[in-house]
Amino acid sequence: MASLHLGSDPVNGIQDEILELERRLQDAKERLKTAQPQQSPARDPGPHLAGSTHFLLLLSDSALPLGSFAFSSGLESYIAHNRRTATFSSFLSSSLSSFAATTLPFVLAAHRDPASLVALDDQLDAAIVCTVGRRASVAQGRALLGIWERSFRASQPDADQGVLRAFAALLREESKRDVPLASAHLGPLFGAICAIVGLGLRQTAYVFMLSHVKALISAAVRASVFGPYQAQKVLAGQQVQVMIDEMIDREWNTQVEEAGQTVPVMDLWIGRHETLYSRIFNS
Amino acid sequence: MDSPFPPSSLSPGDGHIVVSLLPAGGSGLEAMTYQYPLKLIAPSPSIDQHSILVFILSYGGGLVAGDAVNLSIHVRPESKLSIATQGHTKIFKTPSPDITTRQNIHAQIDNDAGLCLLPDPVQPFEDSVYAQIQIFRLESRASLCLLDWVTHGRSARGENWSLIKWTGRNEVWLCAPKESGQERLLVRDSVILSRDGSQAVGRTLQDVMQNIAVSGTLILRGNMMRSLGEFFIAEFDTLPRIGAQDFRSPEAKAKAISGVSDMQQWRSQRLEMEKQGGVLWSAAQVRGCVIVKFGATTVEAGREWIGSMIMKEGSIAAQFGNQSLMCIR
Repeated sequence: MASLHLGSDPVNGIQDEILELERRLQDAKERLKTAQPQQSPARDPGPHLAGSTHFLLLLSDSALPLGSFAFSSGLESYIAHNRRTATFSSFLSSSLSSFAATTLPFVLAAHRDPASLVALDDQLDAAIVCTVGRRASVAQGRALLGIWERSFRASQPDADQGVLRAFAALLREESKRDVPLASAHLGPLFGAICAIVGLGLRQTAYVFMLSHVKALISAAVRASVFGPYQAQKVLAGQQVQVMIDEMIDREWNTQVEEAGQTVPVMDLWIGRHETLYSRIFNS
Repeated sequence: MDSPFPPSSLSPGDGHIVVSLLPAGGSGLEAMTYQYPLKLIAPSPSIDQHSILVFILSYGGGLVAGDAVNLSIHVRPESKLSIATQGHTKIFKTPSPDITTRQNIHAQIDNDAGLCLLPDPVQPFEDSVYAQIQIFRLESRASLCLLDWVTHGRSARGENWSLIKWTGRNEVWLCAPKESGQERLLVRDSVILSRDGSQAVGRTLQDVMQNIAVSGTLILRGNMMRSLGEFFIAEFDTLPRIGAQDFRSPEAKAKAISGVSDMQQWRSQRLEMEKQGGVLWSAAQVRGCVIVKFGATTVEAGREWIGSMIMKEGSIAAQFGNQSLMCIR
């Protein structure tokens, strides 16, 4: 048929018509604007924020009473060990790499399967081979569990399907034995609680890493490394965002069995925090 | 053509050691087999030997890319085994990053038995890829002393953590006797040194390692290692406080030194050595084990430090014999 070979002509015609209509629509909109100048264009308040966003803001708030302010994650010890050569930026990148490699796989695993919380907590307890680091992790983990029990649970009854309740019960009946059944480390609990209140996996990982950076920077301000404006500058900087994303990508598929220390000297700094003559932090 | 020899049950790199208590007392080698590229040597035991000594060797003193060593060890009740090496375990350069050199040890230690693994450090060469997994299953009254350490490479050739990847994982499990199936993970100590992993935070591996030339972990568990573990914890507690000031006059210091015990003299010498060799260390009690982590700015300073600590305390030499310490002397 002839129309098959001449098929491009009707298409061109339609395209011309569309262009013409668009031009007229544009024109009509312009005229409308001038006709009613005092009317603001949009009064629609937009959709409500999701409930999970509310919890995202709560869990990323530095006012969350975890006691993070008491820990410097080795920063204080690093400065004492490297009086002349210490720089915050090199500590920050070492600390992020180390923290992500040792802990982030546990956060991700607990988010993917909150029911495995007890096993993950036990494995992390076996993997933190440093007294000071264990103390910091457990203190904040217990505080987070306390926040869940006393504050969050009322708004999310049974959202955890009894996982956290059973975990807390196990922790309470724990006697002071050599190998505890539950320790309440921060990483797995954070992952499980974020999953329960509806945060996404990537979101959870980002909040977890960002909270670590915030705690480090806040410790740096109090240890007089720099002032609060410089602190916000570091926090807002592109470098911190890139590093956090790189770390999440690096650990996304790491099994908890393969988590490990990427900065061996970090264990030494954190472990030797106890040998400082004067201390303002617990780690 | 069929081989005239009976088929081997071992694959290349496999090895197997079984040690048990001899009827007359003392430990005896019940079985020892190995396949290229792994080689095991047990010098014939002397009459006063405290434990069976086995050397882990590899042909040419190192492992080339793609080599896999799988050693299984069983230390039966009341027997003792020491394992040593002859020189650093060299890990050669890989032709491609996906070819990994592997070394795995699976050890079972029965009640009242002891395993003492004090090898030379692993020395990964430039562009090497290495993965090591060492898993120890201990019955409740078993003892383990494990040293795992890695150096920065061939410093004479300018190598300084120039490897592509090095991973080492040590696991200690507590298993109930009689196959009740109940196993508890006591310690999982894992180190990942990676060129790419450091680049992800914009650093080189050399930079991340600071100026440390050797990094090591000592894991102690069980009755035979109790006093050594307590020694490390006690010495760690007596370390001088960082940032503390000594306001005494030189005369007062000299006077204080003259009247002290041998132990205090040894300690002050060791502290001086730690300062010179840039030795940093910490000790912790973790789930019934003692974990010591250390690093030093030269490999020899690291060796001297760990050797002097273990030899000063003396209980390993007393229980496993001086020969078990040959790699840390």
